[in-house]
Parts: sequence; C-alpha cells; structure tokens
Amino acid sequence: MTKGVLLFCFDTADTRYHSILERCVTLVKKNLKLPITVVTNFKTFKRMKPLGFINYKFIEPELGNTKLGKEWNNVDRHMAYELSPYDTTLVMDIDYFCFTDNLAHFLDTDYDFLVPDTAYDLTGRNTFDQRRWSMIPMVWATVLVFKKNHKVRKIFETVKYIKQYYSYFNDMYRVYSKNLRNDYLFAMALQQINGFTGYDKLPLALPTLPPDCEIIKITDNGLVWKHGDQISYVEDQDVHVLNKEIADV
Amino acid sequence: MDIGSLKKESDLSYGIAVAKRNALEKAQSRLIIVYKEHIFRADSQTINLVKTLGEVHSSPFYILDTNDNPVEISNPKEFLQILVQRNQEAISSYHQMSKTFEKKK
Repeated sequence: MTKGVLLFCFDTADTRYHSILERCVTLVKKNLKLPITVVTNFKTFKRMKPLGFINYKFIEPELGNTKLGKEWNNVDRHMAYELSPYDTTLVMDIDYFCFTDNLAHFLDTDYDFLVPDTAYDLTGRNTFDQRRWSMIPMVWATVLVFKKNHKVRKIFETVKYIKQYYSYFNDMYRVYSKNLRNDYLFAMALQQINGFTGYDKLPLALPTLPPDCEIIKITDNGLVWKHGDQISYVEDQDVHVLNKEIADV
Repeated sequence: MDIGSLKKESDLSYGIAVAKRNALEKAQSRLIIVYKEHIFRADSQTINLVKTLGEVHSSPFYILDTNDNPVEISNPKEFLQILVQRNQEAISSYHQMSKTFEKKK
C-alpha cells in the first residue's frame, strides 16, 4: 500500500505560490517523510527551484475564482482522487506548514476519508467561528486524508457534482461567501453523500494564523508573526498561514 | 501607575496568555495518536479507562475511538504504555513552556 502527500500549486499574477510551496515541501520532507506529488502548471514549475525527488503532475488550473478581488486558483481540489498516485493520500494546502509529524500518523488509520472541522486561531481571537457564515458546519479542506476505494470515489463524484452546480448549493446552504471555497464544497458533499447523518473527522483543530497577521520570520521549526503591536511565535507546532505575503518572507 | 506602564503590563499579560493557550493547544494536538488503525486521545480519560478495563476486565475489551467507533484492545499493557508515553511527552513539553512564561511575568 502506497502513501504520500498531494500538493496543488499555481502562481497567480499577485502571489508567487511556488515560493510558499518550496517551504512547504522542505517541511514535508523533514517532518512527514512521505513521498510528494505536486500538481502544477509549466509556468509555475519553471519558477521553482530544484526540490529534489518529487513527482509532478501538470494540469492547467481552472480559472475564474477570486478571493478579495484577486485571482485564486483553488478550484482543482476535486481532481485529487484521479491525480493522486497513492493508495492513501494526504492532500494539504501549501500554506499549511508541518513543523511536526502529527499528520503522518493519520495515513495509517482504517478510515476512508478524514477531514478536520475546526480551526484554532493562534492569535487568541477565535476568528474562525464559521457557524455565522452558513447553514452547514464547515470543514477545513486545508487537510484531507483519503484512501482510494469505491466509497471515496463516490465522495469525489459528489464533490464534482456540487462544484458543477455550486451557485445553487451555495444559495441553498446560505453560504455568505459567494466564491468557491473547498471548505464548503467538501462539507456539502460529505453531508449529501452521507445522507445528512454526519461523518468521521480528524480530531484536530488546525492551528491557523488569520490573514491580518504579518509573518516576520520562519525558521526550521517554527515561525514568528506580528499582529498589531504584538509579536508572537510558535515552535514545533503545525501552522496554517492565511496571509499569502508569506511568499515574500 | 501611569497609563503607559499599565498598557505595557497589559500587553505583556496578553502575550503570555496567548502563548500559554497556544502551548496548551500544541499539547492537545500532540495527545492524538493512531493505534490499531484508529485514532485516540492520550488524555487522562483514555488512560484511566484502559488501565481500569485492563485491571477489572479480561482481554480483549472494547473502547471507542475519537469518532465513537468501537475498537478491540487485545493488548492493554502495550496500549497503556503508548498512551502514557505520549501523554507525558506532550504534558512535559507544556510544562517546560509554562516555566518560560513564569519567568516573563
């Protein structure tokens, strides 16, 4: 049984995502010690520094989605099932920095599909109280673990179906944000395919830094951020960084 | 106390409180383990349950994982050892962090 990490990375006009990927890959190699496959396009690939032994899958990202008025190429996550060469796959956003090996263990469970449903605000402000923003409990598709089997294929088929009619489902679940978010896409698919009865989750609260935190330093085992006049840091703890200016740190 | 000193003191306390909260969250994340393909928390509740069942119930016995799925535990001694080891690794790290917060006060 093979297992590995699948990452999606596409540069945009505003953000050099390949720089974020380079940091992410280094940490995955160091702490998770798993094979890596990067889904990217040639334009982004040409800008990457050599990252060692890594599989690449080339696709052209589906365009059209935006976040805060900027191009946001996040719409291809529904293809993770077909694109992954592994029997068990950890799909991760490239702005999730693994400073621990915590995620690696979740590839050794007998669960078919696992996703976390909570995020933890490292600034202490509890800004991820998502219940106010939709009628469906959101999941954090930042991190997904899945096996290749009949049940999971059906989950991804449902994801594709909902993506196709996303504006309808978005209205039905009264999701506040109108752009496509994988978090809601997967939450809707899991609710629908599981007959509205709930589903298995990763018991993790993803440690997350909100977009208004400026990352001022990244080391091998942690990072330092500034929020207002407060400077804080974490060490040996995974961090999901929402401020994309991390590409310039 | 002038308002500048008060703000400085308040900021310091806030910074320590957030750092301590984050250190606790880090410990909570570290308490999560995978055993026999199921997910558990190596917290006091699981440790006490496994120890108690190991003492008063013959093996195998059954407990629930974090998604409330039943799991057969056939070697409670081995499982308890893993739970205690991880629990102390996480809490000892939190203890060390707490000491650094004490110094900052």
